Amino acid sequence: MIGRIARRTLGAVVTLACVYTLTFAMVIGVAGNPFQTGERNMPQEAEQALRARYHMDDNWAYFREYLAGVVRLDFGPAFTYADWTCNQIIAASLPVSATLGALAVVIAVLVGVPLGVVSAARKKTGMDQAVSFIVLTGVCVPTFVIGAALVTVFAVWLRWLPIGGWGTWRHLPLPALTLSLPIVAYVTRLVRAGMLDVLESDFIRTARAKGLPPRAVIWRHAFKPAFLPVLGYLGPAAAQAMTGSFVVEKVFGVPGLGQHFVNAALNRDPGLMMGAVLVFAALLIALNILVDVLYAWVDPRISSSL
Amino acid sequence: MIRNLLFVCGLTLLGILSLFARTSARPRADLVYVNPSGIHTLDPARMSWTQDFRVALNIWEGLTSWNPRTLEPIAGAAEFPPRISDDGLTYTFLIHPDARWSNGDPVTSGDFVRGWRRAIEPGTGTDYTFLITDNIEGTAEYARWRRQGVAVLAALRGLEGRLRLNEDQLRVLSDDDVWNAFPADLRAVVRHPAPDSAPAEWSRFADALLGAPLDWSTIAEAFHARHAAELADRFAQVGLYAEGERTLTVRLAKPCPFFLDLTAFPTLLPCHVSIEVLRERHAKSSLTKEGLVVYDPQWTKPNYRRNSYPGLVTNGPYRLVEWAFKRGARMEANPHHRDAAQLSCRSVEMREFENISASLMSYEVGDVDFLTDLNVPYDHEIARLARSGERPDFLPCPVSATFFLNFNCLRSRGDGTPNPFADARVRRAFSLAIDREGIVERCLARGDRVAYSFVPPGTIPGYWPPDGLRRDVSAAKKLMADAGFPDGAGLPPIELLCVGTDERIVQMLARQWEETLGASIELRVQESKTFAENKANHRFLIARANWYADYNDPTTFLDCLQSANGNNDSGFHHAGYDALLRRAAGERNPAERLRTLREAERLIVEEECPILPIFHYTQLIAVKPRVSGLYPNARLWFPFRYVTVTR
Repeated sequence: MIGRIARRTLGAVVTLACVYTLTFAMVIGVAGNPFQTGERNMPQEAEQALRARYHMDDNWAYFREYLAGVVRLDFGPAFTYADWTCNQIIAASLPVSATLGALAVVIAVLVGVPLGVVSAARKKTGMDQAVSFIVLTGVCVPTFVIGAALVTVFAVWLRWLPIGGWGTWRHLPLPALTLSLPIVAYVTRLVRAGMLDVLESDFIRTARAKGLPPRAVIWRHAFKPAFLPVLGYLGPAAAQAMTGSFVVEKVFGVPGLGQHFVNAALNRDPGLMMGAVLVFAALLIALNILVDVLYAWVDPRISSSL
Repeated sequence: MIRNLLFVCGLTLLGILSLFARTSARPRADLVYVNPSGIHTLDPARMSWTQDFRVALNIWEGLTSWNPRTLEPIAGAAEFPPRISDDGLTYTFLIHPDARWSNGDPVTSGDFVRGWRRAIEPGTGTDYTFLITDNIEGTAEYARWRRQGVAVLAALRGLEGRLRLNEDQLRVLSDDDVWNAFPADLRAVVRHPAPDSAPAEWSRFADALLGAPLDWSTIAEAFHARHAAELADRFAQVGLYAEGERTLTVRLAKPCPFFLDLTAFPTLLPCHVSIEVLRERHAKSSLTKEGLVVYDPQWTKPNYRRNSYPGLVTNGPYRLVEWAFKRGARMEANPHHRDAAQLSCRSVEMREFENISASLMSYEVGDVDFLTDLNVPYDHEIARLARSGERPDFLPCPVSATFFLNFNCLRSRGDGTPNPFADARVRRAFSLAIDREGIVERCLARGDRVAYSFVPPGTIPGYWPPDGLRRDVSAAKKLMADAGFPDGAGLPPIELLCVGTDERIVQMLARQWEETLGASIELRVQESKTFAENKANHRFLIARANWYADYNDPTTFLDCLQSANGNNDSGFHHAGYDALLRRAAGERNPAERLRTLREAERLIVEEECPILPIFHYTQLIAVKPRVSGLYPNARLWFPFRYVTVTR
C-alpha cells in the first residue's frame, strides 16, 4: 500500500513537470504584452528592462528561473494586479473555491445517492421517471441559467439570501447549490446504473432468496459495489469543483479561483496562468490518488490488481 | 459503508460551517458602492484606471484638488492659489500647515518630490509619466537618461547570460555616450556599425559581442555603479525644489495653463517616507540589478508589516483600513486630516462585483447606495428611465471621452501591400459617408452625444472644437472617384479591427460604407490583448479606439496624433499638425493658444482625417435618493468627503 502511494506520488511529479512544460510553452507562445495594462502603449525601454528583470528574453532562462520559483511554491508577481503576488491571489481565492466545491460535492452525495438508489429500486415507475427528469435538467441546463434563476427566486423575490458576494454563511447556499446540480445529476446516474447492475447479480438473488428485507438487500449488500464507480467519478469532480467555476463565480460575485483561469489568460498574466493551472493539476492528481487509496480500502480485491 | 459516507459528509459540513462561525462582519459602512472591474493597483505612480483613481483621490490628496461639480482646481494639501511667476513658468506651493498623513506626520514638500519622482522612474512609473516629463523642467532629460541606463543594463545583463541581442538593444549600446564610456578593451575588440547600417551589419555586431572574450558581468557591474553614482546629480537638475518642510517650487519646461489641474491628478500625489524601508537595492545603490527603482509592491496594503513598515500611510480625507483581493476595500475617515471633523460620511465600502446586473439588483434591494459603471446590454432602457424622469436616481454623466476609429495612415500595410487610407481623400470620404446620428440614436440609444470632433464640445472653458464633417454621400463618392476608387472599384477588402463590445456599432458602419461607397468591409472581432497587439503594430486598416481626457485641455486629445507620440496608433505623420501643436505649446496668450489648437483639430477632423470620431460617451450612474453630494461630472470623479447619507 505504502509502496503504491509512493509510486503514484513519483508519477504525480512527472505529470506535474509535463503540465508545467506544456503550460509554459503555451504561455510564451501566445501573442500579447503582459506588461501593458491600460489603453496606452508602453515606452520600449521600460518594457525591455522589465522583460530582462523576469528573464523573458531568454526562454530557457525564463523556464529555469520560473521553475525554480515553482519548486519553492513561489509563482511570482501578478502583472495584472501589480500590488499582489500570484501566491497571495491563490491563497485568497483557493480556500473560497475549495469551500464551495466541498459543499457542492457533499450536497451531490447526500442528494444524488438516495435519488439514484430509489430510481434503481423502483425501476420504470413514476418515481424513476421523475428522477430521470431531474437528472436531465441538471445535466442539460447550463449553470448560468440555474444560478440566475436561484438568485431571482431566493435573493430578489423572497429576499432570504444575499444576491452575491462572500463573507458569511448566507453567501454559501445559492452558489453551492448551483455548482452541485450537474454533480448531483452525474452521481444519480452512476448510482442508478451501478445499482441496476448489482441488483441483477447472483449474490443479491441469494440474499433475496434468504428472505432478507429489500431495504437490507439494497443498503447493506448492493450499495457498496454500486457506489464504487461514483467514487471514481468524485475524485476529478471534486478537484474541478474545488478549483472554482468561472460561471458560478461570475453570477454570484464569488472571489474564487475559477475566474483567474479565464482572466489570467485574457490578461496574458504568465504567473497567474501557471499558478492556476498547476494548482488545479496538483489537486486533481492528489484527489485521484486519494480515490485509489479509498478504492483499495473499500474493496481489497482492487488493491492487488492496481 | 453508508455510515462512513454519512460521517465524512457530516464532518465536511461541520468544517465549513465552523469556518464561517468565526467571521464577524463589520457594521455596514455609511456609503456602499460597487466597483465592477476591481482595483488594478493602488500605487498612484502606476495607476491608469478611473476606478483606481476614484479610490486613490479619496485616500490621498494632491497639492490641489478638483471641484466635485465643475472640476475646476481648488485647494488641496497646499494653500490655494500658489504663487505663479509672471512668465507662468515657476509655481511656488505652500503646503497647508495642518496637512497631515494618516499616522499624524506633517505632509512635507519632500513627500511630493518623492511621489513625483516615482512617477517618472522606469520601474515605478508607467502610463502617466508624460504628465510630468512633458511639463516640468529637466524631467524629460532625466527620464530619457534613466531609460537609456536601464536599456543598456538590460542588454549587458543579456550578454552576461549569453543572450543574442536584438537590433533595438544593439542600437542602445551603440549610442556614442554609452559606447565611449565602456572600457577600452571592449571597444578594441568589437566595433559597432553606423546607425543606418543594414540588418546584416547589426547581426554581425551581435555575433561579435557574443564572441568577444570579455567579462560581461564586470562590465555590467561597472556600468551599474557609474549610473547609480550619477543618479543624485542628475535628479538635482530637475525643476523641483523642496525648500524647507513646506515650500515646493516647481519650474515648468513650457507654459502649462492647466498645471493646477494636473497637480490634483493621481500621478502627482505625494508619497510617505515610510515606503523607503521597502526599497529593493543592489550593490549598495538605491537601484535594482537591472537599474530600476523598485519597491515591494505590497506597500499599498494597510496591514503590511515587512521591515517594520507601518502599512499604507496616506494623506487624504479617508484612510484605507481594509483591502481584500477581489472582495473589496473599506475606507474610514482619516482622523488626522484637517477637515476630519466636517466629514459627514465617515466610512465607505467598495465592493468588487463583476456582474453589473447583480449589482443593479443589490442596488434595487438597498444593499448598495451607489453604482458607477452601468454598462449592461439593457443600458438604453436605463437611459430611457432616466430621461423620462421615472427614475430620478439614474443619472447620465456626459464624460469627456470620445469613441472613434483610427485609419491606418502608413504608406503600406503590415504585409507590404499598398494602403488605400494613406490617401487623405479616402479617409475623408469614409468620414463623410457615415450616419453618426443613426448609430447614436438607434444603435446605442443611451444618450451618448454625436461626435464631429475629437475634443468633446463644452467640456473645456474657452475652447469650442471645429464643426467637423457632416454626412455628405455625394461628396464622399466624388472623393473616392478622385482617389481612383469610383464606386469602390479597385478597393481592397477593408479590415476593421474591433473588440466584442463594439460589434453592433461596427456592423452598422460596415453596412453604411458598403451601401454608399461600395467598399467591402471585413470585421475582425478580437479579444482585447490580441487587438492591442495588432493595433500597436498597425496591422489593420481601420481600428476602433477610445480616448478619455486626462486633464481639462484640448492637448489631452490632440497630442495623441503628434508624429512622435507613443499613442499615435493611426501612424499619422503631418509636419503642419506637429508645427501647430508646437506653436500652441509655446504660446503665452491663452486665447491665442486655444485658437491655434482649434486650427490643429480642424486639420484632423475636417481635412486629413486620420481619425473618425463617432460619439462622446455618456455614462450612467445610480445614486440612492438618501445620498446627497455625489455630482455627475465629466471625469466620473466622486469625492466622498462631500457626501451626506440620511438613514
